[in-house]
Amino acid sequence: MKKHLAKFVAGLTVAAFAALSMPTASGAATTLRIWADADRKASVEKVAGAWGKKNGVTVTVVQKDFGKIRDDLKTVDVATAPDVIVGAHDWVGELAANGSVIPLTVSKSVAAKIPSYSLDAFSYANAKGNKVLYGAPVALENVGLVVNTKVAKVPTSFDDMVSQALAFQKKATGNFGLVIPGGDAYHNYPLFSGLCGYVFGKDAKGNLNSSDVGVGNAKLLDNASQIDSWNKSGLLSSKVDYGIAKNAFLAGKAAFWVTGPWEKDTLDKSGLKVQIVQMPKNKCDSVPFLGVQGFMVTKFAKTHGVESQARDLVGSYMMSAGAQTQLSSENGRAPANTDAAAKITDPLLKQFAAAGKGGVPMPNIPEMSSVWGDLGTAWTNVFKGADATPAKSAFRTAGKNIVAKIG
Amino acid sequence: MSDSTNHRNDHWWRHLVMWVAISIAVLPPLYVVTAAFNSDQTLSGSSLIPRSLTLENFKGLFVQKEGGAEVFFVRWFRASVIIAVLNAFFTVFIGALSAYAFSRFRFRGRRMGMLFLLLIQMFPGLLNLVAIYLIVLRTGEVIPALGLNKLTALLVVYLSGAMSVNLWLMKGFFDSIPAELDESARVDGATPAQIFWGVILPLAVPVLSVVGMFAFVGTLNEFITASVLLETVDNFTLPLGLQSYIGTNFEENWGSFAAGVLIAQIPAIIGFIFVQKYIISGLTQGSVKG
Amino acid sequence: MTQAAQYRPSLLARVISLFSGVGGLLVKLLLLCVLNGITGWAIIVLFTQDRIAWALGTIAVLGLIDFIYLVPNRFLPAKFIIPGSVLLIAYLIVPIFFTINTAFQEYSTGHVLTKAEAIDTNIEQNVVQGDRFFQMTPARDASGELVLVLVDDTSGQTYLGRQSGLEEIDSTTVSVDDFGDVLPPAGFTALVGDELFAIDAELAAFEVPLDNGGVIRTEGLSGAYDSVPGFEYDASSDSLIAADSGVAYRDNGRGSFTSADGEELVVGWREYIGFENFTSVITNPLVRQPFLRAFVWTIGFAGSTVLLSFAIGLFLAKVIDKPNFRGKKLYRSMLVIPYAIPGFLSLLVFKGLLNDDYGLINKLLPFDPPWLFDPWWARLSVILVSVWLTTPYFLLVCMGALQSIPAELVEAARVDGAGRWQVFRKVTLPLLLVVVTPLLIASFAYNFNNFNNVYLLTGGGPSTDDQAVAGATDILISYTYKLAFESGKGQDYGLASAISVYIFFIVAAMSASGFLRSKALENMK
Repeated sequence: MKKHLAKFVAGLTVAAFAALSMPTASGAATTLRIWADADRKASVEKVAGAWGKKNGVTVTVVQKDFGKIRDDLKTVDVATAPDVIVGAHDWVGELAANGSVIPLTVSKSVAAKIPSYSLDAFSYANAKGNKVLYGAPVALENVGLVVNTKVAKVPTSFDDMVSQALAFQKKATGNFGLVIPGGDAYHNYPLFSGLCGYVFGKDAKGNLNSSDVGVGNAKLLDNASQIDSWNKSGLLSSKVDYGIAKNAFLAGKAAFWVTGPWEKDTLDKSGLKVQIVQMPKNKCDSVPFLGVQGFMVTKFAKTHGVESQARDLVGSYMMSAGAQTQLSSENGRAPANTDAAAKITDPLLKQFAAAGKGGVPMPNIPEMSSVWGDLGTAWTNVFKGADATPAKSAFRTAGKNIVAKIG
Repeated sequence: MSDSTNHRNDHWWRHLVMWVAISIAVLPPLYVVTAAFNSDQTLSGSSLIPRSLTLENFKGLFVQKEGGAEVFFVRWFRASVIIAVLNAFFTVFIGALSAYAFSRFRFRGRRMGMLFLLLIQMFPGLLNLVAIYLIVLRTGEVIPALGLNKLTALLVVYLSGAMSVNLWLMKGFFDSIPAELDESARVDGATPAQIFWGVILPLAVPVLSVVGMFAFVGTLNEFITASVLLETVDNFTLPLGLQSYIGTNFEENWGSFAAGVLIAQIPAIIGFIFVQKYIISGLTQGSVKG
Repeated sequence: MTQAAQYRPSLLARVISLFSGVGGLLVKLLLLCVLNGITGWAIIVLFTQDRIAWALGTIAVLGLIDFIYLVPNRFLPAKFIIPGSVLLIAYLIVPIFFTINTAFQEYSTGHVLTKAEAIDTNIEQNVVQGDRFFQMTPARDASGELVLVLVDDTSGQTYLGRQSGLEEIDSTTVSVDDFGDVLPPAGFTALVGDELFAIDAELAAFEVPLDNGGVIRTEGLSGAYDSVPGFEYDASSDSLIAADSGVAYRDNGRGSFTSADGEELVVGWREYIGFENFTSVITNPLVRQPFLRAFVWTIGFAGSTVLLSFAIGLFLAKVIDKPNFRGKKLYRSMLVIPYAIPGFLSLLVFKGLLNDDYGLINKLLPFDPPWLFDPWWARLSVILVSVWLTTPYFLLVCMGALQSIPAELVEAARVDGAGRWQVFRKVTLPLLLVVVTPLLIASFAYNFNNFNNVYLLTGGGPSTDDQAVAGATDILISYTYKLAFESGKGQDYGLASAISVYIFFIVAAMSASGFLRSKALENMK
């Protein structure tokens, strides 16, 4: 028995040592925690840090994968939860329905400097159908038609674009006319909108209406034969993926490329002469999807007792021209604030911004998760070459499926 | 073996089979190599020869770019290797303990227990991570070392499968070790623990090596659990850290990612070279004389 | 242990056997001490946190473990099983129960909060904003009371806002500085820096009542706006009442507030809903319709992946497994490379390789199969890629397992005049299968749920025209994932959990029956 006693004594000794090494409880300090992705972390640190210095607040920026910011917000523990997040506008519906982010109000003077579509993008209708703002739009991104001006001219019309593309394609084997990642509903949206397709219609109050699905709408179906002809002529193929499209364009083997400002550095370094425009009008305006990035205040700011601070940072400071100019120059995106936007000097960034004119913010209602898959599948199926599904039936099926999935 | 002394085993067709298999095995990894040396930052699907060669991707892992994000590659690497070694070690240890019990003892619920341990792994784990997160969170309130954002917690979660995942493999091997060996040791007065350490484990080195290898490589590549439990970038494991190079939509730095993956393979390869002689050793010479 | 020494064991084996004496005992004691130390520490903390039940439970478990380990020569199996079991229960079995629990809940987009939070959130989101916005500075008056100094940003009219009400003041007493900050009138001190931080919650909740029944609320540190509430919670009827129309939204028992005409408020809460998730899986036409086809394909996919990988792995292991085979070390190392590269990366590379216009594979082949675009070719692609990923596992397993087959059995058969192939079929393979069958079953089950291989390579596609959710290569887990996370409003954890439970029963039943029929269990005399 003595031996056993000795073991317990030894155990208790270890316990005592463990107790001694106990970390001191982390005291609540005057800190504000922000979640940002790797690309934006440094710039957010700088800009939010400047605000913090002014207000006597320490700002901690925690790096998260962009998509995980949205996912982790559901499960995060209060103790380590963020007060402010960087996010995309199309998360807003889900985050608002989950009560993860809190409504903001902005003064008219602030709102006057931010285009209303980007404020709308960060808004979600409440029970009364009023738009409630949940975030500060900071940066805009959209795809444009990148023209390799060495081998093609900026197209004057949609038909001109098609004929130039086909002509270049025929010039040499391995040449591409127009490259768009296959089966990708986002990059193909200019084609889709150009044929009068839309995802969700709007109700009387201007809010997105999930029961009005425009993926298989009559006008689009009427125009769908154009898609079949692009497939037949080999203008577009779903076998061209993002990497193939990019490599082809950078190698000078594609006349036109649909891509966005995230490739600005690549284009700058490529040595190619390019110009970026909106895809020319087809049956309707060939507008791209708009993505708006911004800052949101989480419900945890309340529990942490930093709600007013967080609202100040997001609702007024981040909306200002000064902050947005700096964020824009660090991240290579057009700022939302119009004063800041007027100051952009980078030619490509300016052209990308211009290519987004009239664009449609990606729908931010949670029902959008029912759309991406089927819309993408439709694009895959219509550009399969010889085995392609006729566009009319592909988009009709996609529309039907989406309605069924929304339920 | 009867024909071990001559070269009859060195048939040309064996080499041919090997080279065919190897070329299939290494083709996709070669693309990773290409991407690592390519300046294009794409995971090129069409070409094995990069458009332009560069070492920038490797440099970017170690040297912080002007105004760019801080680099933690060395920390990630170290964390991954440490946790992989520990996980391999403890997985083998815990797995061997359980396999020994199921192989050598007869107790109630033994058969059902084995079946249960096999079936329990079949539960689709898609949603278990939410629960694991909460458990680790609550544990951390009591034992900080086992809380969120701690590599020790990650290790412990990895070890939860140590018993079940390789149980059948190890038990099968233990069963093939002749019971007469235990018996004679027992006659000499050895306890079960002594038999375990002194008889079974030394003879089981091949299977221990295989299991250790699985656990080691598996840990080096594990992403999902780590992504749930580790929160700050300075505490990441290698796969988690590398993921941030390709985590953003379209802005994918495949080059840096691929370069990181290549470096990450070094411990795996060293590990394999280290254990492969043990995988083949052991029973070949000692098998059943008694 | 002297037995082992006769066989000239490797260094590693000799090191291990060192633990069979005092060393092993010391390790055991050390580990037990560490466990007692850490757990003892945890118990103390649990007591200080007033979690008495947890503390007592932990004491009981720890006591039991200590007892089992410290009583010599009894509970022998338990001594060997406990370390694995404790971890297994804590991080595998408990999470499974958690998932099962979730399967009985409405837990999806719009249903993640508690009911109390949902009530507050609905009220907050439906506040009706007035048309006035103020520049604001929080200040304290002479008595130390918190006051909002307000400047209407359209009219320029100035006010003092107190919790008792709004008081108009002479605009000349208030000035606005160059930065747009409002400077309070004499006798008031503006709050700045740390002072502001200290009153943050108070400021956020500060409301200045207005005559019209509305309030002025603060927005951040320098703004305020007037508003009227849109909803009020009525505890007696447990409902939210719309302030303007008087419509009542009642708890519908499924985690939402709904009005009499069926309108549902966006923000709901997590709620137990019985078997509804389970029944909705069965009644949902999106599930029912493709189920059989996906089920058959799942079995085909998992079965052929495992059998092919095993066959190839075993073949390669046999080819290598010859003494004096030159370069075998190199070959072995090269062959396990697929295992070392992260699986998802290989899948993405394969996706490029299999591209039927631009991929390398079709450049090498004399004909161009539509690998990823035709349903049957896509199925073949998924299987082949999975085989590529799985073969190294079976190669390693077989390389190890072949060692366990007694050489003299093989030799005896040879002496009896059996040919190589006969020896393999009659001796080697049956012996091998005893060891490997459970692994084959486990691998089958793993591939049965191998979401990644399908999702990253084909995304479940190519689509089939008649089906909304499941594509040609969708296995059960991937199409149900789409159903739970890429349908409706996305993110339906309750439904996903229910599906997990179903799939578990399916795969467990299949595995168990296959297993009980195999020799593996019989062999456990």
